[in-house]
Amino acid sequence: MNTNSLTKLFNPTDDHAALREMVRSFTEREVEPQALDTIEVKHSINDGLGILGLTAPDEFGGTGLPDATAVSIVHEELSYSDPALCLSYLAHSILLVNNLAVNANDEQLALFMPGICDGSKIGGMCMSEPNAGTDVLGMKSNAVYDSARDGFILNGTKMWITNGTLTGKETGDLFLVYARTGPRRGQILLSLWWRKAWRDKLGMRASPTAELVFENVFLPAKTHVVGDVNGATLCMMRNLEIERVALAAMAVGIARRSLDEMIAYASNRPALARIQKHISESYAEYMAGKCYLYAIANGLDLSTYGNGLDADGVKLYCATMAKNVADRAIQVMGGYGYCGEYTVERLWRDAKLLEIGGGTNESHHKNMARDLHKLDGNKLE
Amino acid sequence: MRKILVPIKRVIDYAQKIRVDPSKGAQGVQLKNVKMSMNPFCEIAVEEAIQLKEQNKGAEVVAISVGPKQCTETIRTALAMGADRGIHIETKPDVRGDYIDLQPWAIATLLKGVVEKEDAVDLVLLGKQSIDSDCGQTGPLLAGLLNAPQATFAANIERGDDGSFTVERETDTGTETIKLNASGKPAVITCDLRLNTPRYPTMPNIMKAKKKPVETISLEDMVKELGLDLDEVLTPKNEVVEVYEPPPRKEGETVGSIDELLGKLKEKGLVA
Repeated sequence: MNTNSLTKLFNPTDDHAALREMVRSFTEREVEPQALDTIEVKHSINDGLGILGLTAPDEFGGTGLPDATAVSIVHEELSYSDPALCLSYLAHSILLVNNLAVNANDEQLALFMPGICDGSKIGGMCMSEPNAGTDVLGMKSNAVYDSARDGFILNGTKMWITNGTLTGKETGDLFLVYARTGPRRGQILLSLWWRKAWRDKLGMRASPTAELVFENVFLPAKTHVVGDVNGATLCMMRNLEIERVALAAMAVGIARRSLDEMIAYASNRPALARIQKHISESYAEYMAGKCYLYAIANGLDLSTYGNGLDADGVKLYCATMAKNVADRAIQVMGGYGYCGEYTVERLWRDAKLLEIGGGTNESHHKNMARDLHKLDGNKLE
Repeated sequence: MRKILVPIKRVIDYAQKIRVDPSKGAQGVQLKNVKMSMNPFCEIAVEEAIQLKEQNKGAEVVAISVGPKQCTETIRTALAMGADRGIHIETKPDVRGDYIDLQPWAIATLLKGVVEKEDAVDLVLLGKQSIDSDCGQTGPLLAGLLNAPQATFAANIERGDDGSFTVERETDTGTETIKLNASGKPAVITCDLRLNTPRYPTMPNIMKAKKKPVETISLEDMVKELGLDLDEVLTPKNEVVEVYEPPPRKEGETVGSIDELLGKLKEKGLVA
């Protein structure tokens, strides 16, 4: 078989191939050895690789690669060893850095970007609320303009915030927060306090999750309001697309690792027949997901909006695919697979998050059915 | 300091499982569809060259590789780590890039020509050996051909203001420190594992590396330019007679006591 077309799909340019090579070798040497250490909340996304600010403009300290394929490559490679670390990386590099890169003005970029690109500041994004998850537009957090001080006063509670706390003792450094600024929504940057760190999670245990509470937080209008007041729905939707593609890439990394573990285990066991189905179906589904992922990523322009159908679709497919492949890996490895040091049970638990975070499967069903309905009877290509 | 020349070799990646096809005899090691990377000792040499450059402003680091077209990728890695430019002596696809066809003698002969052509080379830094052939000959042969001072297995390198290099070597009897006096010839130093930890090429540097110059010249043209004889360069000095996979480990036997163990060892002649 000529594998050239697949190589080109997964690594369209030499830069992509070099990026994959670099992150893969970093993952082998630095990420894998600490991946089993999930007891303490860790904070090891120190840079030096130029991936924290991957998509941010280089004049503000970023790498200047506004490119969904590069984003996918980094997420796939990191997740091969440590999906939880990768989730924290995603919250920072995509939900915070990339959102600012696309939506902030130059003054804000100069103010906030260098620190979050060099890793001296780590943060994330706040969207979900205790009573507004999939129904994100039902959010109650609000920011009220105070003309005397030319700023907004923010109040509200945000839930499931990755990197909300890094140490378990204090909040992360910087957050992009969505809040109502009127009948519609604005997004706002600020510092704040946290109420609860969620520790007892099914998976992604090394990625800190917190509930953040804002009480009369003052935000100067000039520097701390990103994009147009009342105009953040578009920013949100645009950033959700790349977030979903990145999460799908994490799923592909989890599936590849699960397959490698299954294959390595099976090669030492003569009783192959009972597990052929698991291995072969897993490989086919992994390749289908990976091809869907890179086909979408290679065509996704991070500055545009309106790619929701396939951003939802690729995450919907890949998240469940990864969970199933990890599940079969456990089955193939039997008792070993069920135990922590054999990795795949952790991948299985981590994979489950991908059916919930960044949009539940049900929200993808809703969005996709709506988008497909809009074809108005036209046939698919 | 003027120029540091760093010869680098593209080899099967250290993490790959080597596959041998016994029917192919001496050519048995499979190179197709195998991940290739820069020889780890060469990475250490590149890192050391960059560190010396950072300490001695104005120095230029030139990475050079001999082998098939994909060696450009290996050179790009060196450029992304911080080397300034590259030279690729490209061989035809039917020439294996490993020790079967291109043996240390050939590489050292070419490198000598490049050192003389480049001029102003103060230092040639090489890996102590490549992980595919484990010959460890290229550095010493090059030093001999150049009649240049050399130090092998370097664990630390300091450059003196007079152009000398002080090299620490870890030997079985302790650390040995030797000084390579400035001689008008480039110093030739081969790098050992503990010399440094190579840096990762960062993504911005990977992108910048594309703009750095790489001169590609065919082996045939290079040989002509250097006034060498192609057959002389390409004809292997050593013949690889056989290549085979390590035999699988045999199952052990369980013994009940230390006496029984000693008895078995004596029986097999392993202890007196």
